[in-house]
Formats: sequence, structure tokens, C-alpha cells
Amino acid sequence: MSADVQLNDVWIRFGSFVAVRDANLIIEGGEFFSFLGPSGCGKTTLLRAISGFQDPSQGRIMIGGENMAGIGPNKRPTALIFQNLALFPLMTVWENISFALEVRGASKAERRKKADELLELIALPGQGEKQVHELSGGQRQRVAIARALAAEPKVLLLDEPLSALDLKLRQHMRTELRAIQQQVGITFIYITHDQGEALTMSDRVAVMSSGIIEQVGNSSQIYDHPETAFVASFVGENNAFPGTVTDLDQDTVVVATEIGPVRARQYGRQNAKRLTVNDDAIVFVRPESLRIAQAGSPPLDNQFQVRMTQQEFEGNLWQFFLQLENGKIIKMSTVNDGQLPQHSPGNTITAGFQSDLAVALPKGPLAAE
Amino acid sequence: MSGIRQFFNRNGVVLASFMLIAVSIWIIFMILLPQLFMLDFSFRFNLPPAQVGGPDDVYTLSNYEFFIFGSPNNPDPFNVIDVTVFLRTLLAAICVTLFDLALCYPMAFYLAQSSHGAYARLLVLSLIVPFWVNEILRAFAFRILFGTTGVINTFFLWLGIYDEPIDFIRADIALYAGLGYAYILLMIFPIYNAVESLDRNQIEAARDLGSPWWRIHWRVVIPYAKPGITSGCTMVFMLSAGALAAPQILGGPSNLWFTQIIYQWFNTGGNWPRGSAYAIVLLLACIAFVLMMMKIFKVKLGEIAQ
Amino acid sequence: MRSSTFLRIWVGLFVILFFLYLFGPLILMSFTAFNTPSFPRALPWECFTLEWFGVLANDQDMMAGLRNSIFIGLGVVLVAVPLGLAGALVLTQIRQRVRPYYYTVVISPILIPGVVLGISTLIFWDRLGTMFNASYDSLFYDGIFLTIIGQSTFVSAYAMLVFIARLQRFDPAQEEAALDLGATHVQAFRKILLPFLKPAIGSASVLAFLASFENYNTTVFTIASEKTLTTVLASKVRYGINPSISALAVIIVALTLVGAVVYEILRRREERQQQGISAKPLNLGNPVTYLVVLVFIAGLGTSWMATRFDTASCKVEAAEQKRLETERRIRELQQRRMFESGQPGTQTPAPQPQTAPKPTPGTESYPNIFAPQNLAPPAEEQPEVQENGSYQNIFAPQNLAPPAQEQSEEQPGQPEAQENGAYQNIFDPQNLAPKKE
Repeated sequence: MSADVQLNDVWIRFGSFVAVRDANLIIEGGEFFSFLGPSGCGKTTLLRAISGFQDPSQGRIMIGGENMAGIGPNKRPTALIFQNLALFPLMTVWENISFALEVRGASKAERRKKADELLELIALPGQGEKQVHELSGGQRQRVAIARALAAEPKVLLLDEPLSALDLKLRQHMRTELRAIQQQVGITFIYITHDQGEALTMSDRVAVMSSGIIEQVGNSSQIYDHPETAFVASFVGENNAFPGTVTDLDQDTVVVATEIGPVRARQYGRQNAKRLTVNDDAIVFVRPESLRIAQAGSPPLDNQFQVRMTQQEFEGNLWQFFLQLENGKIIKMSTVNDGQLPQHSPGNTITAGFQSDLAVALPKGPLAAE
Repeated sequence: MSGIRQFFNRNGVVLASFMLIAVSIWIIFMILLPQLFMLDFSFRFNLPPAQVGGPDDVYTLSNYEFFIFGSPNNPDPFNVIDVTVFLRTLLAAICVTLFDLALCYPMAFYLAQSSHGAYARLLVLSLIVPFWVNEILRAFAFRILFGTTGVINTFFLWLGIYDEPIDFIRADIALYAGLGYAYILLMIFPIYNAVESLDRNQIEAARDLGSPWWRIHWRVVIPYAKPGITSGCTMVFMLSAGALAAPQILGGPSNLWFTQIIYQWFNTGGNWPRGSAYAIVLLLACIAFVLMMMKIFKVKLGEIAQ
Repeated sequence: MRSSTFLRIWVGLFVILFFLYLFGPLILMSFTAFNTPSFPRALPWECFTLEWFGVLANDQDMMAGLRNSIFIGLGVVLVAVPLGLAGALVLTQIRQRVRPYYYTVVISPILIPGVVLGISTLIFWDRLGTMFNASYDSLFYDGIFLTIIGQSTFVSAYAMLVFIARLQRFDPAQEEAALDLGATHVQAFRKILLPFLKPAIGSASVLAFLASFENYNTTVFTIASEKTLTTVLASKVRYGINPSISALAVIIVALTLVGAVVYEILRRREERQQQGISAKPLNLGNPVTYLVVLVFIAGLGTSWMATRFDTASCKVEAAEQKRLETERRIRELQQRRMFESGQPGTQTPAPQPQTAPKPTPGTESYPNIFAPQNLAPPAEEQPEVQENGSYQNIFAPQNLAPPAQEQSEEQPGQPEAQENGAYQNIFDPQNLAPKKE
């Protein structure tokens, strides 16, 4: 039995509220798969449906080709790592880890052995007798993973498990999680609102918004080829220029925007309706795709006048805040090459971008700031 | 129905059944049905067991009529004794409540805002101790205190303040003091809990703005502690109005408490239906009081019963 | 500055008065347990004695009541704690829309007067018994069973409040985690929720037992012909008292103090567990140590007094003084009686107060309780048979000689005119308050 997870037309409703809308997805066995979206987008609900705490209102969830309808969480080949970890505070570390064996009636020696093995795996050897509250945040994290792995699940579900950790530890745990996943080789389904986590760890990412799976793809597809306005605005930073399509050919469209007509690439979901003339569209340009037009260089595909209002140094790059003629502020960033910027705040300059670095997408809801 | 299915899914058959059965027994057979049976019974004649369910076992308003108008050959326009006792009980319960409020509000405020650490713990703990002494014994203690040969009379006679022992029992002073004493804890803790969560800075701020102390209480503390005050007043009133032991032990011979009349109908009176009717009257009065408190002070039931 | 000093004094005075009100009656009552006069009185102090504790231990009624009270208390714990737990669990899961109604219903027993609960329980089971044609010795009429049920009605609500408070701190994810790891619902309940609730189960049980143990209002209706400690106490206090009741009070106050100390220690231990092991060990004892020291000193003092003090010789001395005093009082009272004999409620010839020169436990009279100005209402209607004779001599004619035995039992109670005899035998026909005209 393979360990793939399939969602077929899954809807989850709470009264009149739709938490998950028509989710269709196949997660391959052994994959590190992330659901990325802002809070309230339905990703946790979907995860609870996969683990069995929430019945779908409609549709099927299959794990390893088996329909999970009517199968309780304690009978599913899944293990869930809770957002707050939900370690059992009244048990020691090793009792926590071996809980799955305890409820199956394993002998104490057996449980102890398994716990020691897993403590080894999570690099906490010999810490089994400690109380949970004696551990640090990162150690608790690892105990929670060990506890879930002790159940020998085919699919490990993780519900924002790193959100309580500080930044340094979080970054460290990312690498560790990925390493553990590769070591045990089971499917990881990871829920997060932190795109850094999703993009760095995952084989594939599904971006969700308002109960809808907006796009599924690997990290670079999600970042470089967003398919909806939401994904473009949610993943990474993006400057949005809304407008109307005035002209199009095979791969590019021309959109009349506040900075004049702009030529940009267009992608669409497969089988989805592509942009046509007079459609409302939004052109997205990432800060790193914006340039300052240099005298002597060939002009950029799209150029416009801006006034620089502010510049920030972030070490590896410079951030510039540019004000359009209508007052709107856009962001530009350049890699720090050791030189000071040529322009200072207050200067009026010409900025622009190449067409193949701009994406035109049908108008749709944007991610909240 | 889907709710029940969800409930079973969530808890498993064994636990879900246990919870449903336990709660059903409690609600249906211990709370609702007994009250309904009592209500039903209060509308019946007092019949010997042989005639129960027979042709004479019909509904009647006579028990309530008796409460209001007394027996048919009562010369008064209404049942002076019982109605007076009823009203006096309610009035006395209100007085006891106000007495406790006046006593406990400053104390609760002091405990919550002015004392700290171990000292405060000791005070709070020592509040609990008298509460767990049996209510009969508490009443008994007041009888020792207020009896004709009690401590107070003996002491003041010895001092020569007065030379005739004062009958505190007949004057009901012992009763009010004893009732007030019995329910101090129920008044002080809700207020204490409410005041304790009040940010001390709010009081400081008000003081900085030059408010006199009474205005600080009136505008800042009391509104904040309102749910606690309401809860305390409701509980003290209900328990005072429904008290039986204290009036039996401390009550003057001629001043009955309404519960004592109910008790008589059940014991020596041997008229259970009439006793039920009187109990219903007491229950209605208490429900009315709770609703009134909820309405006046705009608090929820959950804030009262805690 | 001056006004704040004034305020301080006022506050201090208030706090002292408050705690005087709180503890004064209990302390005075405790004194009476060690004083020789057979009517419990703290003043004047006569002789130190421990004999009232002996009287208490030999009081068959009280001991029988105590046994029943303990049995009922345990029964209430067994019924009310599971009901309260179920009630609390259902509350956490019930739908938002239904919750206020559910809560109103399950919380109502706390707000319903105890007498009403007792009455409704009594009537409900009586009617059921009639419907099923049950015999009078069946469960439907069993005072102990009815009392357990009646008390559990509201004690369950107390227990529920304890559980609700604890459950609010429970992370439901823990139970889900257990399920997710393969536990059955029962396993998750037993291994996760139950251990978490253990302290609450403990406090709910103690609360339930205490609430049951001290309950009077509900019990007095449901107990039928049985008796509990509180009903025995109540009838004793109503009909006549000797300091063995004070002795009981001393024991209960002492137990309460010990309970409070134990509770405080447990609470601190739990607090420390929650904070880790970092709490300062020196500071932790403060209120507890005070209490322990207090109880210890009291106990030490008592036992010292007991060994040193010659109660017998003191009594003889006191008796002589008292006799003179009493004679004087009687003369006064006789005069006063002349004026007051017509007063309403005075239906019996006013008994003469008198004090036995040699008070013997249980064979004492009650100076002045039944003096006309203080007439305890039910004196004449007291058919209750007291085995230990605690009411003897109440009606004895003035008589300074050692009291004649068994007199009160021969006092015929004036039988009440029963409006209807149908239920006569269900309750003891004891009647305290004067019959309404």
C-alpha cells in the first residue's frame, strides 16, 4: 500500500461557512508537502480532515488508496503534530514518546526500547526520564516528533509546529525536520503561514486562500510563476499594478495601468480562462525585478518616473521606496554590491522592468498586508 | 440528530453513553421531574393514600387560596399570618443581604487591593474556616452569644451597662446576626474575585485625577465588581430566605420564618400538598428575585452562580 | 497625612471587628465545651473539664447520626462527582446555541432553596412509590436513599463548577493527540483526561462530602424517619442543649483548621510543581505555620489544663456560689413571672430555672432557657424520646436537690391537632415552632 494522500472534491462546511471548497489533490508517498496560507484559509481544517478529527461535508479522503470515511483518528495511518505540541504534561519524556505503544498494550521493556531508539533519532539520548516542562522549546519540538513517529504512521501531519519558536531555532528546526523526513522516508504534510518554511522545506507547496487551493507546485513554480493574484501577492513581495488588458498575443499581454501601458507575461492555470482584451488584470513586479534606468544602457521594456522617498539597508540588499506620480509607494530592492546607492531620497528617477519579469494575472483578491 | 452522532464520534460509544445517561438522569429525574411533581402535587387535595388516584383526586387551587385567604372561616380579608410571615421573611432576607454587603464589600476590597502575599492568604483561608463549620453549630454559637444568660448579656450585666438581660432572641437580633454570619463567605468571595482582577493602576489613576475615595468606589470599583456584587447578593438572599436551621434555632417564638411554615405543613401539619404550594410560592419568589437581579444589574446567570 | 493615618486606624479597626465577628462566636462556643456548667456558657467561667467530650462519645443518637451522615456523604460523593463530571464535559461540548439553556437547568439546583429541593425529591419518590405500589420499606421511602438523591441534585452542580474550572485549563489537543496516537476514547479518557482532572476530582469529592455532611435544609425533608448528625444536632439544639454540642463543635473546628492547613499545603505543592522547582522554600510556610502553631498551642494548653486541673474540687466550690446566686435569681424571676404570665405563647407553667449543685453530664437542667422571657417555643410539644436524658429537669419544680431522673420523658406532649393523619408516621411527629392559630 502506497502512502499517498488523495483529496477528491473535498468540501468542509460549518453551518453556512465554507472552510474548504472543493479540494482536489494528490500527495505522493514520501513527499514533503506543505499547505501555505494565511490564518483562517482552511489549511488546519483540511489537516484535521486528513487526520480524522473532522469529517468532510462532501467528497473523499483516501490514504494509500483506502477511503478514510468513517475511520476515526485512532485508526488512521496518520500522526499529527499539534501546533502547541500537546505533549502530555503529567508524563515523562519517554512515557510521552512511547504512548502509542502503551495504548497498543506493548510491554514496558518494548516501550522503553522504542523510546530510546527515538530519543537517539531526535538527538536527545538519555533524556527520557525528564519531565516535559524541564525541556527547552526546541527539545519539546523534537519529543513531539518522536512521539508521533513512535506510532509508525505512514503520513506525518504537522500543524505549524515551529510557530512558537524563536527565529534562530525555527531556522535550525527546518533543516532538522527535513533531515528527519529524509531519514524515515514517510510522507510529511506540513501546515504553515510562513512562506519561508514552506518554500525551504517542501517538495511541493499548495497555497490556500479562503478555503480554496489556489496553486500547487514546487517552491520555484510558486514563487516565479504564480497562477493567481492571491499567490502572487501572498508569496514573496510584489508590486501590484491593476489595469485593463488592451492587447495580447501568445505569451504576453498589454495592460493599461497607472504607470501607463505595461507589457507582461501571462500564465494561467491549465484549462483556466486566459486573459482577453478588456479583462481586468493585475501586473505583478517583484521588488528585485525593478531597476533604475541607466543612461547609456538600452531602455527597459517598461519605464516610468518615480521619486525616491526612502532607502533602507538590510545587509545583503538595499530596499528603496519609490513614489509614483499618483502618490502610491512601490518597493524596489537591489543586491548589495558594496557600492552606495547613486540616488538619495527626494531624487526623481526613471525606474522600470523587463516584460518577462512581470506577470499579468486576472484580477482577484490579494493577500492582506 | 447529527449533533448526537458527532457527540458519539467525538467521545466514543462508552463515554458518550455515560455522559448522556448521567446528565439525563440528573436533569430529568433529579431536577425537572421532582419540581414538576411538586407543582402538580400543590394543585391537589390532601387525600389519604387509599384515595390517591381515585375519583376525589382532582386538581384544585385551594392550597394557594389558603395561602392568600386563609381558611374559609378566617375573619380577615386575607391570610394575615402566612402572608405577613412571607413578606417579613423576604424583607428580613433583604436586610440580611444588605448587612452582609455593607460588611463584606469593604473587607473584600481590603483583601483584594490592600493586602499581599502570605498575610492575604491567611486572611482568605481564615474566611473559609467558619464556613465549613456546620450551620447548626454556627447558629448554636450565636445562641450561646445572644441567649438570656449568653455571653453578651452576662458581660454587660456584669459591667452594669444595663441590669435586665436583653432578649436578643425574641428581638430577632440573634437571628439576623446569625444569618448574616452564615453567608459572609458567599458575599465576600464573589466580590473579592471581581475586585482582585481590577487593575490597581485604575484606582491610582482615578486618585491622581483628584477623585475623592467614595467617587473612586462609585465610578470605578463598584461598576467593575458588579457581577461579583450581584452574585453575592443573590446567593445571600436566596440562602437567607430559604434558611431553615437558623430560624429554628435562633428565631423568636412568635416570629416565624416562611420555611418554618412549610416545614410545619410537612411535619405536624401533615398536609403535603399545601406544603408543596407554599414551597412553590417560595420558589417563585426566589426565581423572581434572581430574574430581577439579572435585569437590574444586567448580568448573566452564569455570573451569578459560580 | 493625618487623614491617611486616620483611615489606617479605621481600616485596622474594621478588620479586627470583622474577624472578631467571624471567630468570636466560634471561640466562645469552644470555651463552653471546657466549662462545667451544663448549659453551654462561656461566662461565667467555672471549672475546666473535658467531661463533655465523654458525654458526646456516649451519645447514641449522635453517633448513629454521625454514621448515617458519613454513609450519606460517601453516597453523595459517589453520585454527585460522576454526575458533575458528566455535566461539565457535556457543557464543554454542547452547541453554542443550546448552552445557555443547558447551563440554566444544571445550575438551577444551586439557586433553588434547599427546602424546595428536599420537598420535591420527597414528593417525587413518594408519588413514584405510589404509582408502582411500592411498599413502605422499599427504596422509594428510604430516608437515606432519598437524602443521597436529594443532596446530589445540588451537590452535583457544585462538583460541576469545580470540573468546569479545571476543564477550562485543559487543552483539548491533548485528548486529540492521544486519539491520534491510536488510543481508544476510553484510553484517552483514562490516561489523559482523568489524570489531569485528578485534583478536581479530589476537591469535588471533599466539597461534595462536606456539603452533604453539613446539609440540613434538604435533609430534614428527605431523611424521613432516619437521622443524620445535622438533624440530631438540630433537634438537640432546639429542644435543649448541653455542652457536648460545643465539644462536637470544637472537634469540627479543629478538623476544619487541619483541613485548611492540609489544603494550603497541597495548593502550594501544586503551585510549586507548576512553576518548576524554583519556589523559595523559606517563605512557603507562613500562613500555614501560623495555623499549625495555633492549633498546636491550643492542643498543648488543653492537655496541660486537663492533667493539672482538679475539676472535681473546683466544681464543689463553684456549686456553692452558684446556689446562692441562683436562689437570688429565682426570687427575682418569680416576681417577674407575675407580670408576664399572660403573655402570648406562654402556654406552660413557667419552669423554674435551677442549677444542680453537682452537675453530672447529661443530667442537667437548663437555667433560664425556658424562663418565661425566653420561652423556647416547643417546650410543651416534645414527644421525642431522649435516651440520654438531656432534657431532664427542665420542668422540674424548683428543686435544688440533685435532679430526679427521667422527668421530662413523662411530660406528655400536647398532641397536635393533625389536620389530616395520612402521613403522620412518615415523619417523626416532632414539632418545634408553635402552631399557628
